[in-house]
This record gives sequence, structure tokens and C-alpha cells, in this order.
Amino acid sequence: MTRANQRAGEPLLRIAGVSHRFGGLQVLRGVSFDVPPASLTALIGPNGAGKSTLFNIVSGFLSPQQGAIRFNERDITKDSVQSRGRAGLMRTFQTPQVFRNLSVRENLMMGDYRHLASGITANMLRLRGSRVEMDRLRAKAEEACERFGLREVMDQVAGQVPAGIQRWVELARAWIGGPRLLMLDEPSSGLNTAEIAQLRAALQRLNAEGITILLVSHDMTLVDVAEQVHVLCFGSIIASGAMQQIQQDERVRQAYLGV
Amino acid sequence: MPPWKAALLWGLVLVAWAALPLVASRHIVDLLVFAGLYTIAGLGVAFLLGQCGIVNLAQSMFYGIGAYCVAWFCTVKGLPSVFAVTAGIALSAAIAALVGWPILRLSGYFLALATLALAIIGQVLFLEWDWLTGGTLGIGGIPRIALFGFELDSPQRFYFLVWPIAAVLLLLHHNLLHSRNGLALRSMRDAPEAAAALGVDLHRLKVQMFVLSAMLGSLAGSLFAHYVTFVSVDSFAVDRAISFLLLAVLGGVTTVWGPVLGALFITLLPQWLSRLGDVHAVVFALALIAAVILLPEGFGGAIRNRLRARAVK
Repeated sequence: MTRANQRAGEPLLRIAGVSHRFGGLQVLRGVSFDVPPASLTALIGPNGAGKSTLFNIVSGFLSPQQGAIRFNERDITKDSVQSRGRAGLMRTFQTPQVFRNLSVRENLMMGDYRHLASGITANMLRLRGSRVEMDRLRAKAEEACERFGLREVMDQVAGQVPAGIQRWVELARAWIGGPRLLMLDEPSSGLNTAEIAQLRAALQRLNAEGITILLVSHDMTLVDVAEQVHVLCFGSIIASGAMQQIQQDERVRQAYLGV
Repeated sequence: MPPWKAALLWGLVLVAWAALPLVASRHIVDLLVFAGLYTIAGLGVAFLLGQCGIVNLAQSMFYGIGAYCVAWFCTVKGLPSVFAVTAGIALSAAIAALVGWPILRLSGYFLALATLALAIIGQVLFLEWDWLTGGTLGIGGIPRIALFGFELDSPQRFYFLVWPIAAVLLLLHHNLLHSRNGLALRSMRDAPEAAAALGVDLHRLKVQMFVLSAMLGSLAGSLFAHYVTFVSVDSFAVDRAISFLLLAVLGGVTTVWGPVLGALFITLLPQWLSRLGDVHAVVFALALIAAVILLPEGFGGAIRNRLRARAVK
């Protein structure tokens, strides 16, 4: 299927009229937008705009008080975090959440958890299926380490590698499971200019391979890789479009860029 | 360590293990049998604490269920031991699944208190249901285990049953930790939100581990009943649950074999200190405090760290 065909049908992710309130504070007000398949979409907004809340609602860590989330032509509003993960909705976190006591390779092996099936008894008895599964996973993780430049730290404990590398571990871990939607929360946070350029190239490459990406970032040098940008301000979408359009939008300049 | 050295080391350990009952006194071998039983029950507590962060104080209840199943089915009903042990494990697993499903939604102190409540409920029921458990009088005359017509009627003989079982269970535990579910468990311990986002059903996994732990507790209790041939409520009180937790913490929950060291410590050290007379309990308590302060990762963790440091040098 070509990318043009993929985009012809229903969007991969549809956020429809999502509202959320923490006590007396209305964080999201009827937010709606679509993420088409194989697209690279960005969500930007000033601090406190509600980006992380929306991210947590899409990935299932919060339930919206109003509205619905549709993913892959199915309503997932009431689905648990793990069932969304199993459905291929993968995310990274604003503060990298690597499995600190696992090696980098084991972290990546966990990324493909949704495709594994062996049971506890088979695992304990090291039955053939369990052994084959682990061997396959190990090989796949090593391949991913190669691809994401993690080969040298592959056997190191993830909690002891630098924070910048932990970001790559998280990204590689989310990628290895073959995500339908890759949601990245501030992926450039803590990276230097050269590393941001590498990340930019990596996102473009992943997207070119057909992976749908939804990106939340403050970093304009990263956000301009997105084809479609949505601007969230005080819980509402105030503008949507290509980056050049967004930069010309009066409301955005006032609310977000401060000019 | 080169493979030949590791093989030699394991060979020596095996020879020492096999020779021990032949050279040690009957009393010491008796204590070693108890250390083996406690290793099996404590293993369940240790992996729940080490991999899931669950403080399990309910193990004495499952230990009791295993023991009473053997006592009741073998003595009162005259059924074979295999049936009784299996029934105990199945009953413990069912109760753990039933009770674990709601209580494992709790965490931290609340969960620890819930498991403590289970231990207390178990103790009260073992006492009050005297038509089933014999109450304070207990149930005696439990038949000993016979393997291939060979009755395990002495500590020396039982030693060769309980420790191989413990070794097999340690191996199974090791296999589990290095598998799909083991990775999920270790991930859950480090970053539960990230594990859930990758598709791990945290609650289900916790319940499965709680069930597994209960099965180990029951098996240990069943072997205990066959070994001592008499069970009464005193053996399944809350202090037994604390002993299991203690051995897990002392031995260390981050290594597979930590519970073995913890079990040897809590069975052999009080005996060795008893020569000090009345103050031996105080000295033992001080030793426990010192061990926890000086070795926060337990004996197993300390040895592992020392070996890793040597390997780096």
C-alpha cells in the first residue's frame, strides 16, 4: 500500500472532543485532531498548555472526562494502557523511563514484548518455544542496537548510561516492537545540537519507512520535521497546519512564540 | 571465571553437600532439612519482594495449607502422599488467585498489611476449625514419604529429598528470570509505567507471581508435615511468615540463591548462639540488625557485588 493510499482512509489516530479537568483547573477543552497513517505530526504549545495531559490520555494513563480516542478504526477510550501498547501504540516519556537494572540489550528486548507469547511454565522449564523466542529477541535487539548506535553500550546497565543515550534506548525500545503509532514526548530534551540533528534524521528515516509519529516538543529545530503541526494553548487547539503557516499565525505568535 | 574453574567449584560444592549428612551430627542435619524447607517457602517470598516489590506476609498461611492437606488426606482419609501434596498446591494456588486478584491492586504498606491480615486469618482458621485441623492438639501420625520402597525416616534421608527439590526450584526460578516473563517482571520493578506502555499487564503478572509463591509455600508445608509427622497451629503462626520474610531479606532478593543463605542463617545461627545461654536471643537479634545495616542487599547481593568487583579488576 502506498503512503497516499494509506492516507485515503480513516486516520490512524482520532482525538475527538477531549476535555479534562484537574479539580478546578480545566486542562483540555474539546481538543480534536487527526493523525493520518504514515504521517509525522507534531503537537506544540507553551508550558501548561495540556500537551502531556493529552499524551497521557491518548496512551491510557488518564481517562478523559469527555470525548473519545479512536485508534486504528477502533474506540480505545476505555482501553487500558497495556492493551493500547499491545495494539501498537508505543510511547516514550518526557523523563526517559529506561529499565535501570536491565542491560541496554534487555531494554530493547522488552520493546517487542507485545509479540511474545510463551507462558510461565514454558519459561521455567526452558521449553523449545521459550528458548527460540529469546534467541530471536536477542538477535533483533542486537540489530536495533546497531541501527540506533547503541552497540558499544549494549551490555551496560541502562541506568548507568548517560541521559542522552537513555533517550536513544527509549526510542529504539519503542521502535523494535513495530509500532503502529510512535508517540514521542519531548524527545530532544537534554540533547545537544548535534544529537538533535541526529534525532531529526532518525525521525525522518523512521517516518519514511511508514511509521506514524506523533511528536510533542518545545524544540522548533525538531518540530519543523513534522508535516502537520497542532498548537495547543490553555487546553484548546488554536492553530493547525504546516510549520510555515503556523509561524505566520497571529494567535500562535502571540500565545506561543511571544511576538 | 573460566568454565573449568566454575565446573570444579560446582563439583566441590556438590561433594561437600553430599558428604555433609555423613559427617555432621543428626541435630545439625535436622537443622539443614529445615533450612531446605525454609529455602523453598522463602524463595516465593524473595522473588515477590525482589521482582514485584511485594512484601508477602501470607506465606505462613500457604505453608499451613500444604501441611494440613497432607495431614488430613494422608492420615484421616488414607490417600497417597502425591495426591495430598498436589491438593495442597492446587488449593493454595486457587486461594492465592482468588484473594490476590483484589488485594494486589494495593501497593506498599497497604499491601503488606493485607497479606499480614491473610496470615492472621489463616492462623485463626487453623485454630478454630478443629474438626479439620485438630485445633491446638493438631494431627499426628502423618506417614513418612517413601520413595521406591525406601522410607525417608531420618534427617539424613530427608536431606537428600528436600535439597534436590530446592535446587530444582532455584533452577526454575533462574530460568524464569531470564525469560520473557522474567524480563517483564524486572521491567515492572524498574519502571512500571513504561512496562505497561509496552503491553505488560502488571496486575495479572503480580497475581501470577503471588500464585506461584503460594504454591512454593504449600509445597514446603507439605514436606514439613511429612518430615515432622505432626502438625499443629503453632507451626503456622504469623512469626513463621516473618521468618520467611526475614530469610528473604537477609539472603538478598536480587540473587536467585540468596534465600538459601538466608535460610541457613536463620536456622543455624540461633543454634550456634544457644551456647551463650539466656542472652542468645538478644545476640541473634543484634546479628540480624547488623546484617541488615551492613549488607543492605543481603548476603547474596554482597557476594555477587564482591565477585563483580573482582571480575572488573
